[in-house]
Amino acid sequence: MAEQILLIDDDLEHAYALKTYLERVQYDVTVASDTKDALLHLYHSAWDIILANPQIDEEVAESIDTLSEVHPLSQVIVFGNPAQIDTAMDRYGLSVIHYLGLPINSKELELALERARKNILQSKKIDRYLERLGDLHNAQNQFNQLFDEVPCYISVQDRNLRVTASNKRFKQHFGNVIGGQCFEIYKHRNTPCEKCPVIETFNDGKVHSTEEIVTSKSGKQYNVLTHTAPIKNEQGEITQVMEMSTNITQIRQLQDHLTSLGLMLGSMSHGVKGMLTALDGGIYQLETGLKQADGTRVNKAFGQVKVMTDKIKKMVLEILYYAKSRELQYTTMTVETLADNIIRNIKPMAERNNVKFEIKIPDSLGHIEIDPSWMEAALINFLENAVDACSFDRDKQDHRVTFEILPKDKGNLCFTIEDNGIGMDKETRDKMFTLFFTSKGSQGTGLGLFIANRVIEQHGGSVKVKSEMKQGTTFRIRLPRKRPGNFKNNGFPVAPR
Amino acid sequence: MKKRILIVDDDPNIVDYLDALFTDNGYETDSARDAKEGLEMAKKNTPDLVTLDIEMPGEWGPRFYRQMTQDAKLKNVPVIVISGLSGNTYAIPKAIASIKKPFDREKLLEIVKDAIG
Repeated sequence: MAEQILLIDDDLEHAYALKTYLERVQYDVTVASDTKDALLHLYHSAWDIILANPQIDEEVAESIDTLSEVHPLSQVIVFGNPAQIDTAMDRYGLSVIHYLGLPINSKELELALERARKNILQSKKIDRYLERLGDLHNAQNQFNQLFDEVPCYISVQDRNLRVTASNKRFKQHFGNVIGGQCFEIYKHRNTPCEKCPVIETFNDGKVHSTEEIVTSKSGKQYNVLTHTAPIKNEQGEITQVMEMSTNITQIRQLQDHLTSLGLMLGSMSHGVKGMLTALDGGIYQLETGLKQADGTRVNKAFGQVKVMTDKIKKMVLEILYYAKSRELQYTTMTVETLADNIIRNIKPMAERNNVKFEIKIPDSLGHIEIDPSWMEAALINFLENAVDACSFDRDKQDHRVTFEILPKDKGNLCFTIEDNGIGMDKETRDKMFTLFFTSKGSQGTGLGLFIANRVIEQHGGSVKVKSEMKQGTTFRIRLPRKRPGNFKNNGFPVAPR
Repeated sequence: MKKRILIVDDDPNIVDYLDALFTDNGYETDSARDAKEGLEMAKKNTPDLVTLDIEMPGEWGPRFYRQMTQDAKLKNVPVIVISGLSGNTYAIPKAIASIKKPFDREKLLEIVKDAIG
């Protein structure tokens, strides 16, 4: 496209002669011969070249001076008689690219125009480069931001599986370990993993994905879904591989939770059916006992209904605890109150089963900060198991369960629950806190001790067990008096692997 | 003479229930909490009918049934399966009925009455 020239000249005849000449050498020329015209044109369009005799008017001269602020790309050439040129040189200096004396030498004019054209091209080029540089800069910023903020662990690795770059999230969870080896950082192992997707990508240049369990620098385990992609150089050779791992721990936990819930309902239905049948039986005997006015039968039946209702209640609560996570509701209470509540619950059961219940609780044990409903349920669970262990035992005549509370050290209490029941074999001892493990057949849900142990752990305590077949079992439970400060109480039950 | 029913179930509450139900309706009962005890009891007092749980500690219901049918005196005694396991219809194919816990007692009595009067 031809350059646009604005020709400002009050000598109309001279102007048209110039216009004709310039058009012949392929320029597009607009003539402005008075002040009004000149100012209008100067401001309203961006001219490539302005060819002007500034002497036309002071205002025009002024406008040419300030033009570079409005249209910085416009190239100005000034012409005039020698005196006018002098003034113009003083005034404009380098902002005008060429000064032409009148009469205009056509060769000089052409050269001046040629230089203007080159200037324009160069300016445009520079502008384009600047723009691209800006875009590049933005793109890099965006890329960096993406790299850091994307919800994945990203690392770039070389052929030796050494990490050469990693994103923010990776550094947060696995440390800033540039130069460390992938398997060392992710898995704390000394040799590469069995089927390494990074090595596979180095070999075939394709995307590979695996699911892995990795260990963070704080020792936490995460399930991650890992994808790899090759990074190639200009010759198309794979120089590095990018590994992107998405943390899917929460999804897996949820899945585990749902699976075990399903498993639980399945394994429990038999027990529930038995309980419901026994409840039916209690109600039947209560009904017929009332009809026959048989006091003994009514009493017995009522006792049975009560026992079954308690059992069903307990089971429903266990299911609810397992199905729904909840935060612990801490309150401070005296140890005596806690102990009384537990004893009140266990005493009748012990009596029913002919088990002697010994209580060894000294006075003034002070206070403890717990969630009473869960802690009572947990401790009752241990005691109920102790009573059960006695009632299942047919070898011994006399059975006893001992419940003892002692201050352990400054911040802890020790609860001891001891029985002389059937005791546990190694398998039972190993699995007793495992979800759905029960040694009581259809009478147990496999939830009781699992939940009890979790409740103790959530309170920052711990459980130790000693057991001998046919001799009995001792549970020692350490419990801090104050709620644990740094213990993360997410309440979310995590099924065992 | 009263008809005699042998109740085999490991849950004492359910034994108690069945015992009361059958006694109230004019039957005599014996009870056992596992297969071994059940077999001993059956040999001692030949029952007219047996109610049998499937899942019990030690030997399960089907085993009891097999052992019972090996005894000439007992092999034609009708058996009613009363179990909490679902899909137990084929556990003891020759049982005259298979009832799921929790059961409808009128229905159970009806089946018993139809079988032994």
